[in-house]
Amino acid sequence: MPEIVLKDLVKDFGNDCKAADGLSLTVHGGEYLCILGPTGAGKTTCLRMICGLTRPDSGSITFDGKNVLGVPISERQATMLSQVYSLFPSKTVYENVMFAPQIKEWPEESSKQLVKSMISMVHMESKVQSYPHELSGGQQQRTALARALASDSEILLLDEPLRALDARLRLELRKELKSMTKEMELTCIHVTHDQDEALEMADRIAIIRKGRIIQVGTPIEVFQNPSTPFIANFVGRSNIFEGKVEASFEDHSEIRLNNNSIVKARKTDIAIGTDVVIAIKIGSTQIEHIHEPTEEDPVPVMPEGFFSGVIDRILYEGATITIEVNVEGTGIVSTKLPNRRYDDYASGDKVMISWPPAMVSVFNIPKCGLEEELRLD
Amino acid sequence: MSLFRRINEISNNEKSRKAWFGFVCAVFLCLIIIPSIFVVLKLFTEWGLVSEVLANSAMMAQINGAVFNSFSIALIVTIIDILVGIPMAWILVRKPFKGKKYLDTLMDMPLAFPTAVLGLSVVMFWGAPDGITVSGLGLVFSPYLMIIMLHIIFTYPYMVRSLSAILEQIEPNYETAAMTLGASKFTAVRTITLPLFRAGLITGFIICFARSLSETGGTYIALQLMGVQNTFFTGPTYIAENMSGGNGPMILISVMMIILALVLLVVAKTLMTRLKIPLTKVWPQFGRKISRGAVPKSKDIFSIAFLLIIVILPSFYIFAYLTQPGSNVDYGMLLYSTGISFLIAGVAVVFDIIFGIPMAMYIARQRNTFLGKILDNMVNIPLIVPTTALGFSLALFWGSLNVGSSWGLVLVIFGHIAFTYPLIVRNITGAVEEVDQSYEEVAMTLGAKPFQAFSKVLMPIIKSSIIAGGILAFTRSLGETGATVAIGNSVQTVPVYIINLVKAQAYPEAAMCSIILIAICFVFMFAVRVITHRGDNNA
Repeated sequence: MPEIVLKDLVKDFGNDCKAADGLSLTVHGGEYLCILGPTGAGKTTCLRMICGLTRPDSGSITFDGKNVLGVPISERQATMLSQVYSLFPSKTVYENVMFAPQIKEWPEESSKQLVKSMISMVHMESKVQSYPHELSGGQQQRTALARALASDSEILLLDEPLRALDARLRLELRKELKSMTKEMELTCIHVTHDQDEALEMADRIAIIRKGRIIQVGTPIEVFQNPSTPFIANFVGRSNIFEGKVEASFEDHSEIRLNNNSIVKARKTDIAIGTDVVIAIKIGSTQIEHIHEPTEEDPVPVMPEGFFSGVIDRILYEGATITIEVNVEGTGIVSTKLPNRRYDDYASGDKVMISWPPAMVSVFNIPKCGLEEELRLD
Repeated sequence: MSLFRRINEISNNEKSRKAWFGFVCAVFLCLIIIPSIFVVLKLFTEWGLVSEVLANSAMMAQINGAVFNSFSIALIVTIIDILVGIPMAWILVRKPFKGKKYLDTLMDMPLAFPTAVLGLSVVMFWGAPDGITVSGLGLVFSPYLMIIMLHIIFTYPYMVRSLSAILEQIEPNYETAAMTLGASKFTAVRTITLPLFRAGLITGFIICFARSLSETGGTYIALQLMGVQNTFFTGPTYIAENMSGGNGPMILISVMMIILALVLLVVAKTLMTRLKIPLTKVWPQFGRKISRGAVPKSKDIFSIAFLLIIVILPSFYIFAYLTQPGSNVDYGMLLYSTGISFLIAGVAVVFDIIFGIPMAMYIARQRNTFLGKILDNMVNIPLIVPTTALGFSLALFWGSLNVGSSWGLVLVIFGHIAFTYPLIVRNITGAVEEVDQSYEEVAMTLGAKPFQAFSKVLMPIIKSSIIAGGILAFTRSLGETGATVAIGNSVQTVPVYIINLVKAQAYPEAAMCSIILIAICFVFMFAVRVITHRGDNNA
């Protein structure tokens, strides 16, 4: 279970964007770390540099403190599990799994034992003599995993390993994959652009963008305390607004938006009067009807610091629904609810949206401008 | 085994991998490219000799005539190949019918015939020359037309093969989509599929043109049988006929052939990729009319009839000799020359495979780098340079290094390596391009050293292409006359032996030798097929 330390890695393929641009990351021994980022952020390049398929222009890579840049790929004991599985087409399942023991010339009897136990671990006993083209996507995935586990690698690099599978199977394999790698005590780096996958599987998540790691933390930290507006929007969608810090209190702050309304956010160290960006996770908001004025209750109570508006449309998404509310002067604000609330609302309803202030992040205005910051490349 | 282990260890070192590739490049340059075009240098160093020839108008007329014949015949042959080859490729790829397998095999048969044999057979079939008692059609063809008929036979299969290879890659969906949008079959094919064909057309064009340009043995025999070998020349037969003469005319005609061929290669490539064929105009009425009824059917019948009458029958006509009373074949001599031929072809193919695979892999994987592009183009040079000129150039090159004449056999092998190398590299390059690099990458992360990743993972996948390339190169080498004659007159390969028999007017013996040679070739190819199929089952 080696600890992997990447330091200031730079790799320039000569395109307009560097694949690694001062990338630094520490992966603890035995950890399951997900690298999450949009397409083209440099995820795959990062994995390829770790196992030696790509040589960085500068920077260092150490396994347990030992520099591995000069170590050939075959000696690094870092196995790649690619998204196309790359099972060798002319070999059976058994021969594929036998590949590493064979080329390393391990004793035959123990190799056979090892291969057998790996194949049964991934539940492929019935397909031992099948060729890759005779297997389903999930079976290929399992075989590729068994092949990787049957080598003496201590590091497993997973490059979008679940991408090519059906949605259902993907959910099942998430758990299996993680429990097996934990059982084998491997250090795992799993690259994905699917935030749900990362949130569910990872011990820690590293967010990568434009060849840099911009935040590392547990799923909860990354989800609840994103370090940039980009992360706030990329990991669980957020409603994002620009404004100024109006007031700062012990437990929350108040932000004056550009349309002069004031909303509540978590407490911040940013000085009063500074331009800021706030992000409200769409899942952490509540929604309530605003009653038409009646005689007993002539003016509905409107708690200060939240939005009110008219429902624009309601999207049914299976387990959840998303309600888009048109807030005058601000635009569309989305909120996510469980699907049993579907019948409670209709478009045209007047509603109020509120949230626990602690769930709203406050950021300084990004240097490159908000639009550029939020772009998904 | 320990050798492999050592190679594995060495392959793990990046420096030694680079050194090995550098060595491959060096071999490619020194053994293949430079000797192939060395004669161009001679044009300057031996300018005295050449200018003498330039001043001799009778000689110049002959040389110009020969060069003109070569190029015009090659062009006509290639155009016919394209016109008849396209429908044939269609039949082979898109039409399911009984006996397609046999048609497919029939297609390749002429490739197993040494061209010298074809020359004999074709002239017998069409022309029934004097002194030959087997009765052919007895048509009086001009030498020019006869050579065209001959060259069609051994270029046509190449054209059909390159076209059908591309056609297999083109999804029929496009055509179907066009037809559901209201296009007639003919219009759909003409406006949608044909433009996608360019790559295949270029390859087919280059291969057929070069093949026709280079051919010596068959052409020479045909001309000899017609009794015009001293009056009618193509470039290669001119060189072969005047070997014993001075170097002046030889250098001149070699350089002319090489330069013209290279210019043509460049022009053909740019024309085919840049030229916008005005294919967008549509004539729906006309298209519909010829898409139905008798026209498509008669087109298919014509294609198959062409294959049978123009290609297959003349090739096999030589077997008519079996009906003739026995001849005095010198079996010892025949066996000896067959042995020499197999030795040369075998060594050349083994060399090609060892040094061709790294080259092919580099070209396939690094196509976009500067070096990759250069090598990609350079590999084509020996393919397009007429083999006789190439052989002459090679002889000059090694001669200038004072390599003794006892090295004749080795030099002939070098020559055969030069013109077969591109065939193997092309084949393997295509195969490697098809294979996702992630197989080897994953293998290496599993602990395979680079050479193991190649031998245990990539090799089994591209094995059949390597064998196919090997067979192609082997038969090509077996049938080659021009280069052999130009390098070492004393090296008696089978085609050379047959030519000598024809020269001595021992036609029955020549025919019998040809038949035996064909039989040996077939047995050999059959054996290779069996072996490779067994390999497939094991894998």
